[in-house]
Amino acid sequence: MPMKGRFPIRRTLDYLQKGDIIFKNRVKVMTVNYNTQGELSDGARSFVFFNVPQIQYKNPWVQIMMFKNMTPSPFLKFYLDDGEQVLVDVEGKDHKQISQHVKKILGKSEDVLHAEAQARMQASNPANFGPKKYCLRECICEVDGQVPCPGTTPLPKEMTGKYRTKMAESQE
Amino acid sequence: MFHVIGRRSAPVTRLLASRGGVLVESVRGRKSRGDPVAKSKEGRIKVPPPVDPREMVVLKDRYTEYQLILKALRLEFREEVLRKKFEEETGSLAEERARQDAEEHRALMLWNQEENLRLLKARVLRVQKEEEEAERLKLEAVMKLEQQQQEFIKLKEKQVLQLQEEAKNFITMENLDQRIEEALDHPKNYNFAVDKEGRVVRKTVLQ
Repeated sequence: MPMKGRFPIRRTLDYLQKGDIIFKNRVKVMTVNYNTQGELSDGARSFVFFNVPQIQYKNPWVQIMMFKNMTPSPFLKFYLDDGEQVLVDVEGKDHKQISQHVKKILGKSEDVLHAEAQARMQASNPANFGPKKYCLRECICEVDGQVPCPGTTPLPKEMTGKYRTKMAESQE
Repeated sequence: MFHVIGRRSAPVTRLLASRGGVLVESVRGRKSRGDPVAKSKEGRIKVPPPVDPREMVVLKDRYTEYQLILKALRLEFREEVLRKKFEEETGSLAEERARQDAEEHRALMLWNQEENLRLLKARVLRVQKEEEEAERLKLEAVMKLEQQQQEFIKLKEKQVLQLQEEAKNFITMENLDQRIEEALDHPKNYNFAVDKEGRVVRKTVLQ
């Protein structure tokens, strides 16, 4: 069963997760103005075709809008949350250049991403036991190789408390 | 009537019934309000658990102390978490970070502005060039048209001159008789012979 569309790889999770532009928290709206014809808009068209799905996947809370054939030259506009608007001219650029430019000015840098990942790891320690919402496991009986839950299979007699107390008493 | 706590599967209930002594809590279950008391529970008087007063006093003291300590610990931990959150958001380090972020943002915006200017210059140049090109082409077209017109005029003039030249040899009503006399006096022989080698012979005899 073949995949649908011209470049169906754009729809795969692998491809989407490889997107490396994660916007800063300030960016709220991204607008792309480009033309459907003309050599100068080539880069912008490729950007919209190949990179915008990746960006939207990595930034689900950023609104992205495309406007076609409204201006003679293509550009990107970003609206930040303090009202500032950032204009990026992309006339004649390649889609790789455009995405690098955008990453440089409004993307989170590598060290910021690392720090965030570290904070996330610290907040959620996989060694903790607790409710399923916050931790991986609730009880040691869920782990492979440990004593199974006495609720599902009864413990051997020697491990039960009442047998042990009986033995202790009989010895005294 | 008695609800079992925890995830227990169906086969376990049989085991529980045989073993007895399972942690249960009472829940309004099978019997409704108006149902009579069971026969086995007819004369039952519910008695609270026995309490030793001396032990109770000691226990009360210990419990108050224990609960005091635990509550204090809980409040301490809660305060620590809140303080950490506060530090994170509005502490001195956070201010420093925010300032640095603003600085970096300003620098990046400047760089972006420069890029835009560069592209703007390139675009202006390109548009200018295109305009000049269009102008040049238009001028060239106009010139070419003019040239063609000139050539046409010249051609027509040449044709007129040639016609004037030929008009000198025309036969008119005045020199009609003269020309007839001339033609009759000088008969012209148009016959000729050609052989395969291409030699032309015009000296044929007129009959």
